Amino acid sequence: MVNLAYFARKIVGLVVTVFLVLSFNFYLFRILPGNPFTLLFRGSGLSSQAIHDLNAQFGLDKPIWYQYFVYLRNTAVGNLGISYQTRTPVASLISFALINTLILLSVASVISIVAGILIGIIAAWKRGSKVDVSASATMLVLYSMPTFWLGILLLFAGVIYLHLPVSGMTTIIVQTGALPQLIDLLRHMVLPCLTLVLGLTGQYVLVMKSALLDVFTEDYMITARAKGISNRKLLWDHGFRNAVLPMMTLVSMNLGLSIGGAIQTETVFSWPGMGLLIYHAILARDYPVLQGAFLVVTIVVIVANFVADMLFPLLDPRVTSH
Amino acid sequence: MHAQAPVTFTVGWSGSTLDTLNPAAFTDADGASKIIVNIIYDPLVRVNINGSTTPDLAMSWTYKNSTTIDMNLVHNATWHDGQQFTANDVAFTINLLLKHPEISYEHEFVQTIASVRALDNYTVEIQTSKPDATLLDYELVNIPILPQHIWANVANYTSYTGNPVGTGPFKVIKWGGPGTYVQLAANDNYFYGRPHIDQLVFQYFSSSNAMALALESGQIDYAGPTFPNALLSSLSSLGDVQLISRLGPEYYYFCFNGYAQGFGNPALRNKEVRIALSHAIDSQELSQVVWGGFAKPQNTIIPIALGDWVNPNVTQYDFNLTTAANMLDAAGYKVGSDGVRVGPNGTRLALKIEVPSDYAEEYRAAQEIAGWWKQIGVAATPQITDTDTMGGESVNWKFDTYIWVWSTPAGGDPDLFLSVFQSSQAAPAPNPGFSDSGYQNPVYDQLYNQQIQQTNSTLRHAIVYQMQAILHQDEPYYPIYDPYLVQAIRSDMFTGVPAGLLPPIFIGTFYSLLASVRPTVAPAQASQTTTATAAMGTAISTEGLAAIAVVVVVVLAAVGVVVTRRKSSKKGQ
Repeated sequence: MVNLAYFARKIVGLVVTVFLVLSFNFYLFRILPGNPFTLLFRGSGLSSQAIHDLNAQFGLDKPIWYQYFVYLRNTAVGNLGISYQTRTPVASLISFALINTLILLSVASVISIVAGILIGIIAAWKRGSKVDVSASATMLVLYSMPTFWLGILLLFAGVIYLHLPVSGMTTIIVQTGALPQLIDLLRHMVLPCLTLVLGLTGQYVLVMKSALLDVFTEDYMITARAKGISNRKLLWDHGFRNAVLPMMTLVSMNLGLSIGGAIQTETVFSWPGMGLLIYHAILARDYPVLQGAFLVVTIVVIVANFVADMLFPLLDPRVTSH
Repeated sequence: MHAQAPVTFTVGWSGSTLDTLNPAAFTDADGASKIIVNIIYDPLVRVNINGSTTPDLAMSWTYKNSTTIDMNLVHNATWHDGQQFTANDVAFTINLLLKHPEISYEHEFVQTIASVRALDNYTVEIQTSKPDATLLDYELVNIPILPQHIWANVANYTSYTGNPVGTGPFKVIKWGGPGTYVQLAANDNYFYGRPHIDQLVFQYFSSSNAMALALESGQIDYAGPTFPNALLSSLSSLGDVQLISRLGPEYYYFCFNGYAQGFGNPALRNKEVRIALSHAIDSQELSQVVWGGFAKPQNTIIPIALGDWVNPNVTQYDFNLTTAANMLDAAGYKVGSDGVRVGPNGTRLALKIEVPSDYAEEYRAAQEIAGWWKQIGVAATPQITDTDTMGGESVNWKFDTYIWVWSTPAGGDPDLFLSVFQSSQAAPAPNPGFSDSGYQNPVYDQLYNQQIQQTNSTLRHAIVYQMQAILHQDEPYYPIYDPYLVQAIRSDMFTGVPAGLLPPIFIGTFYSLLASVRPTVAPAQASQTTTATAAMGTAISTEGLAAIAVVVVVVLAAVGVVVTRRKSSKKGQ
């Protein structure tokens, strides 16, 4: 049963956090040296008058507090502004990129969570065995491997030996029909997905294993074992259900962070998602896109945590009393 | 004729992203968007792959006087939706740009135009406010002509997202969204004749490694705008890939901050010091060390790729450390007790050499230069600076020296390179111009104004040569080199890359490439062998194999170490 005071406390925390992040984002990008238009004359030869006009058009000649006020007001009504770079509404750029990232991420997350839990359980159950040690060591190595490097190696292998597509989400000249298009998308997803899965699974395995090992030393486990419960029942009903709590926290944090954190994977595979959007916006000092993207990432992180907070009392009645 | 699968020419691009297909929405000139829009919409004239002006929607033109030009338009051009193209479309487009400064990028190109009107269905008269030497080569090549019957009804030009309708050789089939790809089909009714390919796919890559692999595995047929040096050796060893290296319309330069009201080392305001320091820079050596020979040393401030605009009589100061040292002695800079020269008024020759983070590989050049300068008693500190920070230092005159790049977005016109040395461009913040050397010379300014109004090409060349000679004498910059842009084509699949000075994928030149590129084999066969697996390069597959082997070894070794450590620690317990 979710306690109302608990719920209200979390909601207030959520709103304050979003506001603080909003303000911080605004400030952060403006202490960067330069502005989006200072360097336009290099390469495009815009005159100083044209650059001045562009600054005025996007309100960058106004005092900073005024820009902040306009920004808050627009964000409040859901207007994220217009991209300096592409002149398209930021909201549409973000929704396009967010969907692409979610497609990639949801598959990668499900695979890595399931794999992480299973490998973690096996490693914990067969603690100290060769299976455990080699699984844990492999996971540790994969987890600490630079994503960019791993991605490029998979790219080599995938393209040359498996003839998988190199970049993007779709083969441009593709057979029509839903099924061929789906297969095409899946073929494009294999490599970026594998890169993400290899990186993410390691964490899940290690957390799952250590959580289970903690649970195994609890008194109730000894009691259960003494009652003569089968190993399978002991592991799933008593062990797993208790060990899944730290896992929940990690999953909820990871889901939020990887929305914007798949930058390296998306760059290697030219996947047109949030990571690539942020990367290009930073290069172009495209403030509205950066602010919008960071806002979305923040909200996803906060909401994911909030959902986790709401689920905790359901999973573990002890949480409500805190 | 094309009953078989269409011949598709797939181009990979790893430069700036494909942002928009709306020509009114550009803020950036060297983007992929501009390249694509340039083949959907025709301008009145084009710059060809040799940098010269050629007809497009205007088949000929005549100057009625120095400020009035009549453009005679082609009669058989139609818009992609079937409507007839007329002079009214041209007048409409230019008037639209004149009236709407918010279309900021194209608005730049109508600055000198006073009025435009259609004399009849196929003649347009353009009047400029003063004689404009670059009207064709710079302004008109950059103005895509828009269809009046569509754009007259557009409410907000910069945010228009309708399907592009132009007169160009290709029309849009499908756009994948910002930063993805665009698929185009040949325009069967193109007034200069249908291209030899049926479809064009232009695909964005955020990684050059991935693009090289795509080329090798046959997923793309052409790649640009350039490959990093590190990939060139493996690409050039592939039989089916032909590299196309041409000089880019740009040059790297070493800038001395000589602005009298600036905050750079005051010694640099003395031209004897600048020339002495230039004698201690070897661009020949730098092009080898930094670019592995993939750059050509510059003699003047006009990129070599601009051909006959470069004054052939200007040659770089010879690399001679003794000459450099003697010149500094003569200028009153004597070597002090710490080995660093000090000038008559106590100015130490200790300088910072900055390199923008976007061109971080030039740090190597800065190090080389610092090494040479050390030998003549000049202390130099190389430093990589964030590009935007450097932009700020530049306009506030807060730097000693730096290495940077000038490039022209379109055309083969030298005006942009000449313009940055005008006195009017050197001004204190907050209203700086584009000068970074702080060069001020009334004679140069006068020549600049003459050349920009000289519509006779021969006479203009003479003035431009003279300006280069003056800049060489005063040495506000040491021009370093013009790097080659290396692009690549699957020569087993496609042939017909046009010969010329400029790289085939560039704003004007992509059109030339598309007009002449054709399948190497007959279309019927080509379509059957276009599958990705057809021809696989061998050079990278061994490398790939090696890389994978390395990973496997690393993983196994790591696992092995952990296992044995576990065992030994257990034994210890």
